[in-house]
Amino acid sequence: MRQIKATNGEKVGILKRIPHDKKLFFMIAPFLVLVLIFSYFPLYGWVYAFYDYRAPLPLSKCDFVGFKWFKFLFANKYQIAEVVRVLRNTLAMSGLGILTSFLPLLFAVFLNEIKSKRFRKFVQTFTTLPNFISWVLVYSVAFSLFSTTGMFNNLLMELGWISEPLKFLDSDSHTWLTMLLWNIWKTLGWGAIMYLAAIAGIDQELYEAARVDGAGRFKLIRHITIPALLPTYFVLLMLSIANLLSNGMDQYFVFANSFNKQHIEVLDLYVYNLGITSARSLSLATAVSMMKSFVSVTLLCVVNFMSKKTRGESIV
Amino acid sequence: MKKFKRLTALVLALTLAMASLSGCGKAKEDDKATTSEAVEATETADGEELTGADKYPEFLTVDVFSNQSNFQGIQAGWFGKIVKEKFNMELNIIAPNVAGGGDTLYQTRSAAGNLGDIVFMGSENGRLSDMIEANLLLDITDYVANSEYIKTYTQGIEWMKSVGGTDKIYAIPSLVSTQSATTPSEGLDLTYGPYIRWDYYTELGTPEIKTFEDLLPILKQMQDAHPTSDSGKPTYAISLFKDWDGNMMNNAKQPTCLYGYDEMGFVLSKADGTDYQSIIDSDSQYVRVLKFFFDANQMGLVDPESTTQDYSIMYTKYQDGAVLYSPWPWLGQSAYNTVDNKAAGKGFMVAPVQDMTILSNGCSPQGDKYVASVGAKAKDPQRMVDFLDWLYSPEGIMTNCAPIDGTCGPEGMTWEMVDGRPELTELGKELLLNGDGAVPDEFGGGSWKEGSSWIAFNAVLQSDINPNTGFSYKYNLWDSVLELKETPLDTSWKEKMGAKSTLEYLQNNNQILIAPGCDFLSPAEDAQISTLRSQCKAIIVENSWKMIFADSEDEFNSLLATMQDQVKGLGYDEVLEFDMQNAKDQNAARDAVR
Repeated sequence: MRQIKATNGEKVGILKRIPHDKKLFFMIAPFLVLVLIFSYFPLYGWVYAFYDYRAPLPLSKCDFVGFKWFKFLFANKYQIAEVVRVLRNTLAMSGLGILTSFLPLLFAVFLNEIKSKRFRKFVQTFTTLPNFISWVLVYSVAFSLFSTTGMFNNLLMELGWISEPLKFLDSDSHTWLTMLLWNIWKTLGWGAIMYLAAIAGIDQELYEAARVDGAGRFKLIRHITIPALLPTYFVLLMLSIANLLSNGMDQYFVFANSFNKQHIEVLDLYVYNLGITSARSLSLATAVSMMKSFVSVTLLCVVNFMSKKTRGESIV
Repeated sequence: MKKFKRLTALVLALTLAMASLSGCGKAKEDDKATTSEAVEATETADGEELTGADKYPEFLTVDVFSNQSNFQGIQAGWFGKIVKEKFNMELNIIAPNVAGGGDTLYQTRSAAGNLGDIVFMGSENGRLSDMIEANLLLDITDYVANSEYIKTYTQGIEWMKSVGGTDKIYAIPSLVSTQSATTPSEGLDLTYGPYIRWDYYTELGTPEIKTFEDLLPILKQMQDAHPTSDSGKPTYAISLFKDWDGNMMNNAKQPTCLYGYDEMGFVLSKADGTDYQSIIDSDSQYVRVLKFFFDANQMGLVDPESTTQDYSIMYTKYQDGAVLYSPWPWLGQSAYNTVDNKAAGKGFMVAPVQDMTILSNGCSPQGDKYVASVGAKAKDPQRMVDFLDWLYSPEGIMTNCAPIDGTCGPEGMTWEMVDGRPELTELGKELLLNGDGAVPDEFGGGSWKEGSSWIAFNAVLQSDINPNTGFSYKYNLWDSVLELKETPLDTSWKEKMGAKSTLEYLQNNNQILIAPGCDFLSPAEDAQISTLRSQCKAIIVENSWKMIFADSEDEFNSLLATMQDQVKGLGYDEVLEFDMQNAKDQNAARDAVR
């Protein structure tokens, strides 16, 4: 332990008398407490998966059923088909998200190339804003634009291009794709912020040296900017693979209806529909989300291992 | 010194973080739920009897958990003013219907240990005993003993004791009646019925309607003859909405009531006990109605917005005259049969479908399963019970009137006694016959509808007789009001149908099937059944909508087959067996009072 001593005989401040490492620990302590309370304490709720829980009754008055709800999910082929359908939707939409995860990177790179500062700031603000609009509001915008009496249909009808309103929202065609587009629209600018920060951190001398060697703009991007961004990209990619199963539910919840449910019901939404909206399936929903957590942790470990092997870097 | 300050700051930051976290704990929850705002009462009562702030010096904001209310927030307007004057409190209505997400609000609030200070909730499915066991409700036995009105409803109170599995009083049933169990409880119009735009129907020369499906060609002609609404928007014969979908698609269940069926989970049971149908069977009444809507859609009669709109949007379409068919009088008539429209001969009236026998709920001497309770953590239980007692008093029954239908407000405001019989005042005529209007400031201001009682609890059956007037609580049944209703629309309907009211017409033609008011309550279902049910019903509702909007009859049939196959695989039969047993038990209870 290292003691910090006052060098010039002045009165020693109370902070100085605390050892340096303890001081550092105290600084992160509040956040550790937060993590404990918000991330680990809720795990106690897993106990509900082993009971027949009914909302107002305390757990002590509910039956202990062991692994009943875990088995329930695989009870027969129809039940399995449901789970497979939900998983397919989840993986498909997460997968599409991962496939398009290079878009924010490219966007940041090209944004950085804009010479006019005002225009660049404008585009950045304009594309970041949608991230702060809740999905409920996004849906109400979508509704006024694309419902059967929405602006878009009215316009097409007025122009005489169609005679019957097109069903954009209540149809099952290209559900995954539409959801992906909405998601990109909402998160593109926000996702680019991290990369813009990374670009700002790139050593300018590299660019100067490259220019001296005769590199043009595209060569600068190709040989300096993108390689410098790749570590950030891979960290984010790995995190998103770990989150493969939890792609959130609010977007799918607001866009869901009887017509697109087959393809829009992701795992989180399925858990919500099962456990919360219809009474008394909370235990099953807990069991599902428990399994989800295990899968996520496993995926993270696998990806981390692969990263160590292939790139020599790990993230956890 | 500077260093010390910094440390203090650190400690403070820590404390703050902890304090904000402790907000998630129980202490804060209780704090929030207490009703007391300890606000000084601003008004003093001037009556001789002790009321308002004199009797209840502390002003309270009372949380009212109302499972059937369609309004959330502080009760405002004229009803709010009366409650404030009488009880020195305001009602903060908590409404799961508004909050959305089905049972979510009930589950989270009950799990947190406090539903509200006053709880209006269904007692079926073991709910009441659950709430008692989880200490959510207050034992009000002693308070009831000292009450004026509640204690007289002994049959209902005893019933709820047995439902709750206790010998203490926790709940009081709603809709208590002194009429017999086989008397229709609804009044002049039943709850269900095929209501169509009478003016358009008479234009066609009132063609014969042998059965429900015969409505389609008639609706088609009506829609073709009147393609636009009052405001010039396109008209559709039928408009649907998804808000109330439960075990099945709500809209598709309604017409089955025209033939005396009602739902019991996945069973449609006929009120006379002669038939029990599984809804997904190809020959069930439910599938029949789906086919009806499918055919209607093929003929271009179904509003394409049906799939995305909610009840309130659809309601505005009815107000605009953009929909021609209504499955309930309280939808089409209350939206469109305004004084002006009726004077012009326009409005919804029941159509003479010849083979229907409409389901009617009989009166219940013991009351209905929807009950009133006081929350276990209520701040001032005596005042809560006083308030409930007032709801059961003749004055309370008249005053506690819902925005749509029922009683007509406080005496002296909307009605008065003239020559020994109740009559609407000028203000009453303006507000009630039109459905809405401005309330003068002396009564609290605002609009009639917004100021009506939003607690959604009818203590006593409104077609019962008010001992103070000798006439029913329901103003629609008063002679003086019936005399007001000699509009061209009413006259036209009466001439054709040869009866004074829907009820009389149906009774004359023996077209009512009464489900006697009995004391059956569906029992608690275990988690297994609930889970199977919640998966099955989602699939049934989803496919019902798809079937209606299918492109061809082949697609309709294949969707039906898929649905049957899928739900059966997911354990439909197990749930059906449970529901079937309930339906039969219900019929046995009905037989006992028939």
